[in-house]
Amino acid sequence: MKEKSLSVFVDGLTNYFDTVSPLKAKVSTPFLIQDINEYLFDFTGIIGISGNHKGSIFFSAPRIMMVKLISEVSAQTTRDDKLLDLVGEVSNTLSGNARREFGDQFMLTTPITFMGKSQHMRVSDVTNIYVVPVMWQNMKAHLIINLNEE
Amino acid sequence: MKFMVVDDSMVIREKIENILKDENFEIVGTAQNGLEALEQFKALKPRVMTLDITMPLMDGIETIEKIMEIDSEVRILVVSALADKTTLIRAMHLGAYGFLCKPFRDIELVDAIEELIEDIV
Repeated sequence: MKEKSLSVFVDGLTNYFDTVSPLKAKVSTPFLIQDINEYLFDFTGIIGISGNHKGSIFFSAPRIMMVKLISEVSAQTTRDDKLLDLVGEVSNTLSGNARREFGDQFMLTTPITFMGKSQHMRVSDVTNIYVVPVMWQNMKAHLIINLNEE
Repeated sequence: MKFMVVDDSMVIREKIENILKDENFEIVGTAQNGLEALEQFKALKPRVMTLDITMPLMDGIETIEKIMEIDSEVRILVVSALADKTTLIRAMHLGAYGFLCKPFRDIELVDAIEELIEDIV
């Protein structure tokens, strides 16, 4: 994946938090990683990508952040099913917004969500995996971008 | 006026429901995919729908096509994260009346709905 394409996701993250909350988020410089599992928090949503790019996009956040975020987006709750639903929706929104840049051949699956670490998390045939850290209300989440451009 | 909310995210369905209820709109049904939406649409005959695009079982584009075959007068507001022009044009070509990109502010949804129904209230 070209590094300049990362700006699409950085802009998407900034826009997401600016829209759903009056409190701004601070997106840090993306960096390369090798093991996705080390960068996962309590709740993770994954979108599979096919078409003109292949791979996956993860949004992962700690429980405390998801509880705060859901109170901004909808209503206050600590229910796991709703926090999982929201983490999937965030990953879907960030991926879907990227079609503005990548076009309709940037094809998305519906979200897969899970809690905790996944021991079976494997990515193959991918040269570069980037993490984009985002700080919001003193809490950190990660957008993980695992994409090959065709 | 009867409203229906279709989105695979429970949190987003609730958000849209709450915003519309606050504006005194009548929500007659909610659905989490196109198949459920079609079943409920036939039974409940809503006049206005908010509709997501990326959903399991039947996506929003196919849902618009099928709903238009049943009732071409229904007003559909697509509420989706898919921000490309092709999806927007395709949805509008099939019969959607408006498009609101996720994420959205409450007021943006209210404005979009008011624009959607201004000539039928």
